[in-house]
Amino acid sequence: MPKATKGEILSIPSDFKGDSVSNRFGKHDFSFLSLKPDHAARPLWINPIDGRIILESFSPLAEQAQDFLITIAEPVSRPTHIHEYRLTPYSLYAAVSVGLEPADIISVLDRLSKVPITESLINFIHTYTASVGKVKLILKHNHYYIESSSAEILKALLSDPTIASLRVASDGADQLTSEKAPTKGDLVIPGTKKPDTSAGEPQSQAEHNDKIENLYETVVGDDQDEEDQDTVHSFEVPADSIEVVKKRCQEIDYPLLEEYDFRNDQRNPDLEIDLKPSTQIRPYQEKSLSKMFGNGRARSGIIVLPCGAGKTLVGITAACTVKKGVVVLCTSSVSVMQWRQQFLQWSTIQPDSIAVFTSEHKEWFSTETGLVVSTYSMVANTRNRSYDSQKMMDFLTSREWGFIILDEVHVVPAAMFRRVVSTIAAHAKLGLTATLVREDDKIDDLNFLIGPKLYEANWMDLSRQGHIANVQCAEVWCPMTSEFYQEYLKETSRKRMLLYVMNPTKFQACQFLIHYHEQRGDKIIVFSDNVWALKAYALKLKKPFIFGGTPQHERMLILKNFQHNPEINTIFLSKVGDTSIDLPEATCLIQISSHYGSRRQEAQRLGRILRAKRRNDEGFNAFFYSLVSKDTQEMYYSTKRQAFLVDQGYAFKVITHLQGLDKLPDLAYSTARERRELLQEVLLQNEEAGMVERGDDADDAIGRGSNAFARKAQKPVKTTGSLSSLAGGDDMAYVEYNKSKNKELKSQGSSFISKLYKKRKK
Amino acid sequence: MQQAFRSSVIEYLESLPEPVVSRLYQVPATCLAVFRLLPELGQYLVLSILFLNQPFKMADLPIKSTAKSRVALDLVRRRLRALSIIREHGGFAQIHKSFRRNFRIALTGGDTSRSFGVPSNSLDKSPVDSQFLAAHAKRHWESILHYMVGTDLSDVPNDGVLMLLRHAGLMEGKNLHSMSITQAGFQFLLQDVHTQLWALLLQYLSISQQLQMDPVDILHFIFMLGSMQLGQGYSLTDLSPTQTNMLEDLCDYGIVYKRSKSSRRFYPTPLAIMLTTDAGTLVSPSAAVDAANTAPDQKTELTSISDAAPAHFVLLETNYRVYAYTSSPLQIAILNLFVHLKSRFPNLVSGVITRDSVRSALAHGITAEQIILYLTVHAHPQMLRNDPVLPGTIADQIKLWQLEKERMTTTQGYLFKDFSGPREYEIAARYATEIGVLTWQNPKLRVFFVNEAGNSQVVDFINRRLKK
Repeated sequence: MPKATKGEILSIPSDFKGDSVSNRFGKHDFSFLSLKPDHAARPLWINPIDGRIILESFSPLAEQAQDFLITIAEPVSRPTHIHEYRLTPYSLYAAVSVGLEPADIISVLDRLSKVPITESLINFIHTYTASVGKVKLILKHNHYYIESSSAEILKALLSDPTIASLRVASDGADQLTSEKAPTKGDLVIPGTKKPDTSAGEPQSQAEHNDKIENLYETVVGDDQDEEDQDTVHSFEVPADSIEVVKKRCQEIDYPLLEEYDFRNDQRNPDLEIDLKPSTQIRPYQEKSLSKMFGNGRARSGIIVLPCGAGKTLVGITAACTVKKGVVVLCTSSVSVMQWRQQFLQWSTIQPDSIAVFTSEHKEWFSTETGLVVSTYSMVANTRNRSYDSQKMMDFLTSREWGFIILDEVHVVPAAMFRRVVSTIAAHAKLGLTATLVREDDKIDDLNFLIGPKLYEANWMDLSRQGHIANVQCAEVWCPMTSEFYQEYLKETSRKRMLLYVMNPTKFQACQFLIHYHEQRGDKIIVFSDNVWALKAYALKLKKPFIFGGTPQHERMLILKNFQHNPEINTIFLSKVGDTSIDLPEATCLIQISSHYGSRRQEAQRLGRILRAKRRNDEGFNAFFYSLVSKDTQEMYYSTKRQAFLVDQGYAFKVITHLQGLDKLPDLAYSTARERRELLQEVLLQNEEAGMVERGDDADDAIGRGSNAFARKAQKPVKTTGSLSSLAGGDDMAYVEYNKSKNKELKSQGSSFISKLYKKRKK
Repeated sequence: MQQAFRSSVIEYLESLPEPVVSRLYQVPATCLAVFRLLPELGQYLVLSILFLNQPFKMADLPIKSTAKSRVALDLVRRRLRALSIIREHGGFAQIHKSFRRNFRIALTGGDTSRSFGVPSNSLDKSPVDSQFLAAHAKRHWESILHYMVGTDLSDVPNDGVLMLLRHAGLMEGKNLHSMSITQAGFQFLLQDVHTQLWALLLQYLSISQQLQMDPVDILHFIFMLGSMQLGQGYSLTDLSPTQTNMLEDLCDYGIVYKRSKSSRRFYPTPLAIMLTTDAGTLVSPSAAVDAANTAPDQKTELTSISDAAPAHFVLLETNYRVYAYTSSPLQIAILNLFVHLKSRFPNLVSGVITRDSVRSALAHGITAEQIILYLTVHAHPQMLRNDPVLPGTIADQIKLWQLEKERMTTTQGYLFKDFSGPREYEIAARYATEIGVLTWQNPKLRVFFVNEAGNSQVVDFINRRLKK
């Protein structure tokens, strides 16, 4: 889709001169707009130039306005009082694809706005909605068709040389295929209220809401009426050029909507799956699903929910609604197991209908159709497939799937997505993520690879309602010791990173916080991107750690211990822990090193404690500390990283001094000599040590399960070092002084759980 | 802070020597004005004894004697004594003679000194209404404030006004036409218009004293203005030369209106009327002007609705965004001092507080405390429900930004350079280190810096070495 043509000529009244302060705003002085007489009752201002919408969240109409805005605009910031949204071509595309008409969008905006909607804005909305939603991409009998209710539009499409050349000629005729349009029935999303039960809500409340909702019912409510055209026309395109067609259609302003009429799909066998009667889904999950199944068909798109807000359950419910063969792709083999387990927990699916496909496990399902859970890398990997996986892949590609769930969509690079999307034929695609932000511009690719964003939840609302934990965020400023700072100023950028991560003051702060929160009974996760620092910290503090190179069974062992062993209250995680590791026990996070200015990583890490088990305890707070070395690049990155969370309404408190730090017993690096030794050791490390973990980069977090990637990353490096380090002196000495807690855990072995029971008996 | 500004008129009067005060009390209008500036209890006390011709026994005052009232009463009595209105002797109070006489005249009538101004009897060919005067006052007064916040103006206040601003320490700069606001200036902007008026007039008084103008004459005139009637034209005939000069200056501030230089008639504006009324609730000049408008016809009401900024209009979010419900250019200009403004709607401006925007405010001498105070005082009702009113993280951050600037410590001293060789440099530097006066050195450039105290010693040492 083309970028918005910004700054369309705005008709400024000729008698508007502006006053002494007008020039401060450049083009953004709209004081000439006339306020509507009853503006106080309306909650919005709309910037006619950039499409930004400012919403008073304390207005009585705010809640309805929010529902509406989330459908038509991108949320920019949603703190306590005033929210900002922005109309973009993509957001309008999403709005139309869930069934809103341009005229409705404009009229509702006009009703909510304090100032009149300008001509330029109306043009903007029309431009990006006029052609949207008219053409659909349908998968039928394993063939792709482009379908539209208007033959004219299809003819227009076919006049485009790119598309015309890709058309699959059927029966040699140039005729478009025509048939009856699908009709909608009364689809009920499992786990939600049946339509008829909603009438039972208390009369008084209904009346109260009546007035406000009238406004919306006409617009957001049922959009079926517009869809009952009698016939639809279509032509076929080949499966391998779907992406080209989709991209081309976007370019010529006829973006394709992908819908799956699963109830009328007789060809694919139904899957025996439903939500367990005990499973209840929350209101916002229901809302997000209603966007997906709004017209009785399954739309492809992305649902954005905060970490810990139950994305998995949304995926499962969607699968239970479609009831066809399902593929779930996630980022690691750990989350593959979690998905499988969650499906068993919430739905009635039989274990023998579930197939798991990872490097360790390859299981088929025995039933006619079923559920496949796998990782992106397993599916996208094209080289050196084992016999087993090749057979599994053939199985996956040979079938037509009803539904594919793409977990953590934001991490998957476009190239890999293309392969996944083109190899697996699925009728509907659902992307799930918590943070649809990337520092590069690859997010836009998702719009045509999967579909528009269907729903994005408000973090603060969920937190207020107790669905996710309350979090106190803090940024702890650790001054660099003078020796470290001197070296910092001299070094190259990579080495600098190691210096500010290994800053002794930061180490002390970390030690102090761990000590403090362990005393309070918190379970703590410490995050470090830098693996060398991760090990150094963990070994010194005698805590277990997990990084890319940790074998699978050792990871499981450590995680189990963290969950159940009262003696293990702190673990150190590298990037591998950023996403998908589900640890509801954790209540406190400490971040000692991070990936530059990645807003997403910050949000993902925060997500690790949002699902804290104890979140509904009275006055419960989870804690998120970000330790930064003062006067280093870290400060700059830290501000950038927090931007996303701050826009969600989180506030980072700056802590410049930790009360009682100097009184901590066994404080590390409290003498100048220890600090010098540490500095020497840091300086002896080669540049590689200063880098973040390779091959496990969260931006392309693929290959987590199979360590193949991590291993491949290790290439010979030239290093300089002292004689003793060549003889292995440094490392050896370190390990001897600081015994790895990991090994300790291992030696206790898996007998720990049984020990635990024994202990209890005592 | 605010309290200090408000009471300074009285404090100024208290600081005057007794003979000057006695001259002040020669005039009924001034007596009335001083009386109006007194706290309520003081007014009560004065009225109780005004019409008694013999000393009054303080213990006889019909005031309930509690610990609290005694403290208040003591305070008032001290103030009245300082103003020389009463004199106390052995538990008896006596009122100042001239004050008693002239204040009685002011209350009962019979003023022959024409201290309340002489209404112009002749008919004005082009009469002005209160509407016009309010606009005149607003234009002049706000242009001064706008100039202070650095708005680009088409009509810059004249040199007299600028000189006054610099003299008052509200703005600074070598060149009169390229001055920037000071910390005191920002503090000044945060005050209500009544306080601002008096602050400027007191500065005017202190300048005029340097120019050998009679402060009593000036004060008489100021107090006379305070008792005039809006919309009434007054004649220049009875004014002293000092007062006639002063009239021109007051014109520039928007306190009075005169059609032309040669005109023999002047009109007080709402700002003048405000001088001796307690205007604690008026925040913006426009609000004050509207409030002072005695004839609130429909037009006035309309302007007051669209113009008067409510006191609580700023919303600060935890993501550093600022939303201000205002259309007042002046309030916007003030916000612009420390907020990066983004867009403006008829009744709202939005912006964001950034490190840069705060640093530029700090560079102007505005303190973090003042920014926080401003945001707190003007916080939107939605925020007043919070405790503290401002998001703590943001207030902290603004303070931290200020601390960031204050990390630099300066040392007075001397730089030693141009050594003839590395050996000379080394010996001298080592000596400086040994006696502990070396602050900084760079062996590569062969320079070092020695603090003030150590300079002579190092110079001596080098001279001795060189002689050898």
